[in-house]
Amino acid sequence: MRRGFDLLLLAATTITVAFLILPLAGLFLRVPIGELIAQLGSPAALDALLVSLKTSVIAHVIILLVGTPAAYLLAMRRFRGRGALVALIELPLVLPPAVAGIGLLAAFGRRGLLGGELEAFGVSLPFTQAAVILAILFVASPFYVRQAISSFESVDREVLDAARTLGATPRRVFGRVALPMAWAGLSVGSALAFARGLGEFGATIMFAGSLPGVTETLPLAIYAELDTDFTTALALGALLVLVSGALLLLVRLLPAWTSSPSTSLFRFARSSSGSTSA
Amino acid sequence: MRPAPGARSLRRVAAGLLLVVLLAASCGGDDDRVDVLAAASLTDVLPLVDPEPRYRFGGSGELAAQIREGAPADVYVSADPRIARELAREGLAARVVDFGANRLVIVVPADNPAPIRAVGDLARPGIRLVLAAEGAPVGRYARVALRRLGLGAALDNIASEERDTRGVMGKVALGEADAGIVYATDVEAGGAAVRSIEIPAAAQPRIRYSVTLLRDRPATRAFVARLLGPRGRAALGGAGFVAP
Repeated sequence: MRRGFDLLLLAATTITVAFLILPLAGLFLRVPIGELIAQLGSPAALDALLVSLKTSVIAHVIILLVGTPAAYLLAMRRFRGRGALVALIELPLVLPPAVAGIGLLAAFGRRGLLGGELEAFGVSLPFTQAAVILAILFVASPFYVRQAISSFESVDREVLDAARTLGATPRRVFGRVALPMAWAGLSVGSALAFARGLGEFGATIMFAGSLPGVTETLPLAIYAELDTDFTTALALGALLVLVSGALLLLVRLLPAWTSSPSTSLFRFARSSSGSTSA
Repeated sequence: MRPAPGARSLRRVAAGLLLVVLLAASCGGDDDRVDVLAAASLTDVLPLVDPEPRYRFGGSGELAAQIREGAPADVYVSADPRIARELAREGLAARVVDFGANRLVIVVPADNPAPIRAVGDLARPGIRLVLAAEGAPVGRYARVALRRLGLGAALDNIASEERDTRGVMGKVALGEADAGIVYATDVEAGGAAVRSIEIPAAAQPRIRYSVTLLRDRPATRAFVARLLGPRGRAALGGAGFVAP
């Protein structure tokens, strides 16, 4: 009987793995690899790659710079409505991308909530790279912020208190203790957010439109090339699989690489005494 | 002998799996309904010709790509006879019959923020023009018309390339684009949100619709006969399409 159950588990696993692997294998096996690589050199592919890289990197820097302190505050302070606030931040995680797209239009579009104000400053967001970046920010930042909150929450409070008792300013506690101790978790969140941003499609096509060299990111290019040049679409898809795979690997390996809490504390203590004596 | 609990749950799960597979198979659509893949500009008119078939509307090029990939399809109605003939050459479609004609117009948001008053305004710097991508017939036609008008500069004003004519209408109706070029027959779908501006007849490319059978069945033949017959002509005429 036990044997039967084991076989069932094995069958279910085989079905799951085969089903998930097949589309990925199809991407790489449909045309020779050499042809895929050659297609990546086409102007359409290069344009899309550049647009994707630029918008993803800018969005990511913003996510890290703004998201990290915000997550720190939400992790450290207890106040009324905190739970609701965190839930609100997490909402875009489960929101359909089309909803994100129409929401961005309703907020930042020409006739949106802030459309009039933006227009007064001569700014019009739709159809610009700024719109692509906003779309990425909206869908990807919750992946980072959520992970960052729990990473900061898991930092040992006593260590933070000890740093404060030793005379460290709040900024120093954040920069020298909390940040290094939460590092592994933050990196994981960062990689996840980057991957989600790179794959962003629905909100972008609705809010930013699609124009080669301007707003056409890799996923949009795959969609656009589907009916004109299937091989290029395949090549772009294969490229995204590789990049996403690399990011996933990073997520798996990062926690093992980063330093343990005790060494970060040690680092804090040493540099702190050094600076006070100066 | 009573079967052990493990074996019983095993059977139950296996039955469940089988049920899922059966359900999935029956969703495959072995019924008699005709699957029609048709140009997006026909979205409103084809159901008037025949409400029975399962319609899928989109850019003619996009639909042709789906047909090549084996999408379930019985009839293909294209806004570009060349794409239909290509499918026929590849052996995927039968005889191609042209049946209707269309023309291009400029659409602007009802409040015309740019403002656009004549076709020449499309080349003015700073105009946000939305066209369909070149893979969609309406996108190719629009570029032909602009070139014939000597308005190649308007192509620098393209803010976004949409999938099909209805995508262009959407961006204009939302008020995000200053202008777009669509088929004359699409304007009605925009309702009060858009206004149209004529494009001179001399610049109009030859726009023909064609229909072709992908699978020869009595039901698919009946659909094509209906489309080409009096009922089809009346519906198409009512929507603004003209005879080829």
